[in-house]
Amino acid sequence: MSEEKKKGLDGRLLRRIISYLEPYKIWVGVAFITVLVVAFLGPLRPKLVQITIDQDIVTGDLEGLRNMIMLLFGILVAEGLLSFVNAYLTQWIGQQAIYDLRTKLYRHIQRQSLRFFDTTPIGRLITRVTSDVESLSQVLSAGVVTILGDLFKLIFISWFMFSLNWELALLTLAVMPLMVYATFWFKRKVRVAYRETRTQVARLNSFLQEHISGMKIVQLFGREEEEMNRFKAINDEHRQAHIRTIFYYALFFPLVDLVATIALGLVIWFGGLNAMQGTLTLGVLIAFIQYARQFFEPIRNLSDQFNTLQSAMAGAERIFDLLDSDSSIPEEESPVDFKSVDGRIEFRNVWFSYDPKIDSEDDEADWILRDVSFSVNPGQSLAIVGATGAGKSTVINLLLRFYDIQRGSILVDGVDITSISLADLRSHIGLVLQDVFLFSGTIRDNITLRNDEITDERMKRAAASIGASAFIERFSAQYDYEVRERGMSLSHGQRQLLSFVRALVYAPRILVLDEATSSVDTETEEAIQNALERLMKDRTSVAIAHRLSTIQHADKILVMHRGQVRESGSHQELISQDGLYRKLYELQYQEQKALA
Amino acid sequence: MVVRQAIDSIPRFVTSYRAFQGTPLENYLYTDYFFSLLTFGLMIMALSVGSGIFSFLMRQTVVVASRHIEYDLRNRLYDQLQNLSHDFYLKHATGDLITRSTSDIEQVRRYIGPAIMYTTRALVIIVVALSVMFVISPKLTWYTLIPMPFLAVSVGLVAHLVHSRSDALQFQYSVLTSRVQEALSGIRVLKAYSREKVEAEAFDKESADYRKKSLDLAFIEAAWRPVFLTLVGVSTLIVVWVGGTLAIAGEITIGNIAEYIIYVALMTWPVASMGFVITMVQRAAASMDRLNEIFDAEPGIVTTEGEAIKEAKGAIAFEAVSFRHPASEVKALNSVSFAAPAGSTLAVVGRTGSGKTTLVEMIPRLLDAESGTVRIDGRDVKSIPVDVLRSMIGYVPQDVFLFSDTVAENISFGTLGAEQSLIEKAALEADLLDNISSFQDGFETFVGERGITLSGGQKQRTSIARALIRQPRILILDDALSAVDVGTEQTILGHLKKQFGKRTIVIVSHRISAVKDADHIIVLDEGQIIENGNHDSLVQEDGFYAALHHKQLLERELEELA
Repeated sequence: MSEEKKKGLDGRLLRRIISYLEPYKIWVGVAFITVLVVAFLGPLRPKLVQITIDQDIVTGDLEGLRNMIMLLFGILVAEGLLSFVNAYLTQWIGQQAIYDLRTKLYRHIQRQSLRFFDTTPIGRLITRVTSDVESLSQVLSAGVVTILGDLFKLIFISWFMFSLNWELALLTLAVMPLMVYATFWFKRKVRVAYRETRTQVARLNSFLQEHISGMKIVQLFGREEEEMNRFKAINDEHRQAHIRTIFYYALFFPLVDLVATIALGLVIWFGGLNAMQGTLTLGVLIAFIQYARQFFEPIRNLSDQFNTLQSAMAGAERIFDLLDSDSSIPEEESPVDFKSVDGRIEFRNVWFSYDPKIDSEDDEADWILRDVSFSVNPGQSLAIVGATGAGKSTVINLLLRFYDIQRGSILVDGVDITSISLADLRSHIGLVLQDVFLFSGTIRDNITLRNDEITDERMKRAAASIGASAFIERFSAQYDYEVRERGMSLSHGQRQLLSFVRALVYAPRILVLDEATSSVDTETEEAIQNALERLMKDRTSVAIAHRLSTIQHADKILVMHRGQVRESGSHQELISQDGLYRKLYELQYQEQKALA
Repeated sequence: MVVRQAIDSIPRFVTSYRAFQGTPLENYLYTDYFFSLLTFGLMIMALSVGSGIFSFLMRQTVVVASRHIEYDLRNRLYDQLQNLSHDFYLKHATGDLITRSTSDIEQVRRYIGPAIMYTTRALVIIVVALSVMFVISPKLTWYTLIPMPFLAVSVGLVAHLVHSRSDALQFQYSVLTSRVQEALSGIRVLKAYSREKVEAEAFDKESADYRKKSLDLAFIEAAWRPVFLTLVGVSTLIVVWVGGTLAIAGEITIGNIAEYIIYVALMTWPVASMGFVITMVQRAAASMDRLNEIFDAEPGIVTTEGEAIKEAKGAIAFEAVSFRHPASEVKALNSVSFAAPAGSTLAVVGRTGSGKTTLVEMIPRLLDAESGTVRIDGRDVKSIPVDVLRSMIGYVPQDVFLFSDTVAENISFGTLGAEQSLIEKAALEADLLDNISSFQDGFETFVGERGITLSGGQKQRTSIARALIRQPRILILDDALSAVDVGTEQTILGHLKKQFGKRTIVIVSHRISAVKDADHIIVLDEGQIIENGNHDSLVQEDGFYAALHHKQLLERELEELA
């Protein structure tokens, strides 16, 4: 734990957090006012009780007594109402502000390039957007306003006490240093003890997690008895750590009571003496008894608030770090217009590496693609084959501009893709991946991706021509069938067909396809092959091919190995060359024959 | 009470003091009263110390006791978890079980300790305070009590609402989290189809819903303190008003008023806490239910008190064994029969999902056959005590699982107290010794959960060493060589071959190279044996095995080509 970094409240960070309150400053002002009023009304009551006792009860004025009670009741209700308004308002402000922050953060993350996602675990991003932002709400709502409220309350109470009788007030305050000291001593000891319990809890939890996940191993190797003993030991240490914390609490609460009572005792003693000498009325005495109690609560609250604030700041720092880093693909300020497209693709001397720090001059460095050049005419189909790691998927990633290349250029219809807006470029390219990603939602949602412009009719027509409508209509909910997360409820083949429909419905001029390697049953296989034919008709297509039929029907085949284009031509040409292609072809053929 | 006496005595003091003013007795009286008041003050403090001590003791006993209870409960739970068999773990998600073992137990403990404490304290305080108050003035007491029931009820209501709304909030939080997770996992598709904006808008909707639910909760929480304090304030007001009236009428003293104010202050928290306690107990009951689901579960594999095998040889036989997974309609194993004589090597080959792992899991009785019999050395496995059976078997599972412990501890996991020489020998046979020697702490190197710091191949070899060190009669390798390269595979197999004849080995693999030298090879597809024989006979058959073999040869060639 970086204790040094806990300068506690880093001013700049705090200011940045508070800037999110900007749009709500009027409400913040209102909240301040209510806090002040409430802070004032609270201590007012004992004063009024004092007056009541001295003026009405002692003198026996029933009428006056009743009036005072009415007044007091009114104040009580007002105080209650206002403190409710204050509490809710501060929460409201906080929630609004973090809603704004959450929205901004999410959009920022979405905009980032794939490179960012390759290197950042999703779990971490989720934590930022959800729990880190949430912890900030504490600061924005309760934190700032409540702290001020407590401070003001202390000020008002002191003021009232002093205005009634400065000697008693001093006496009451005299015990305050004791209280503060006790509180800090306690907090320090407890923090250490808590750290220990947190460690123990983590140990216990990780033991349980490990052993539940690996219970099979424990049982297979007959380790039950030994593990039980180990568990007991950890369990025991956990218990001990907590018992130590309980000790401190057990000590602290009575101590606090004692201090408050000391104040009370002093009040009675001294107050009584003064009463005898006529310098003090009984009402004042009773009022002070109430003040003594009222005084110590805000002090205790303040130290709690401080801790919450500190941990929220840590979360804020992480969030702002994320917001400040930007690795999105840079887009042209004024992109070339790209509304209609023929579909001619060209790669010109493309060199690429996923490593952003690679030396682009160094030919011997670890390039994924080396001097790759090829072209595809509109309406043609290109199949890319090669062993794993040859660079096939990379070609697709680059065409869609998920990454920017280091050397060379990629052109669509003769226009360099870096000069086109990302949205335009991608609107003309349809992507079908081998790992079909389906979202939770209906089939319709997954096909249209919630695009209102795609009519049901268009969707159904696409599904029919792909041949997917058969299985979709078998579900009672049909297109409203709920697809579970990642499409678990559908078979692999069905998911493939859906992703084809999705691609077709967006009717792109260029189709990019990363074929699945795992096999499906023959019936679905046929459906898929037909669907593919339908999909590739009248389009330029670039396919990473694994199917025999795809390879055989392609207009041109590109054979890649270790990032370079080794051979290219039609199927017949390449077979007769008897090189790399032939071997690869036989491999595919064998595998598919074996599994047929 | 003391406060009251003190306050009441003050007017007496005042009047008598004034009476003697200006007389020589004045000073004398002053000191006398000085000390009386001092005594009062000290008595108040002494009482506070006394109650403080008791409060301390109470917390030390009750809350500490709750921790002891928690300790026992956890031990029992873990014991039960160890007893439950593999089929239970297949049915229940790991995450769910972990939540029950951690957070549900926490709920039960949290609410039993404080709940008892609050209840006893509340009862005592209320009884004592009320009895004194009644003695002084029944009338005033009744009036003072009016707000109390409201207090308890409103607190209970608030607590209930707080819980239900925070549950709703938790739920929405997890919806939000899932949404983010999905969107970010599928970011590629989103970008490819330029759906980012639409997705962001959908996210905003969920985010707004979360905000609403947060505010719903905040509403209740904001109302709670004002309501509480208002009710307390009203009590005080009643004391002042009715008490004042009675004091004017001379029925009670002003000291009494002060006293009542203090009593009211004392009673409010205990009364309010009653409202909490009820909801607390509800939550604890719900958690206890969830825990009982585990406690009440019956272990699927029950061990018998049969005889141990005197001279275990390790012959395995399956007779028409069938098995179906609990929620599935399809048979994982369909009438599988084969025999592997002691000391022979059996290989099981087949596609993913063909039933290979299920088959080998039946040998150490992780699963029991639905129909048919599994025999070891001619005896039905169900008739052999489970611990005896498992001590005969060394199992290397498909998913490598190592514990957060040292390498030595992991290897000797199944052989308690194994000597260093044995550990090293096992490491050697698994071709791991060189690697370990290169580690800074050697065998004492710690590996994280699931063996993070080791490479995939190293983890697998550790897993193999763990099985080998047991010198088992039966060695089962479930796809245990998938993460190692061909060279290492050959080395390990070389060591294993020395074991051939000494023990029965069952190898499950995709790789023909690992399986080639087995005495007997069976090919599984959809739970049934479709081919069996040895390497040569199967290649001749030109079926699945042969095709697989050919493909792997080609892959080898391809790698060498480039």
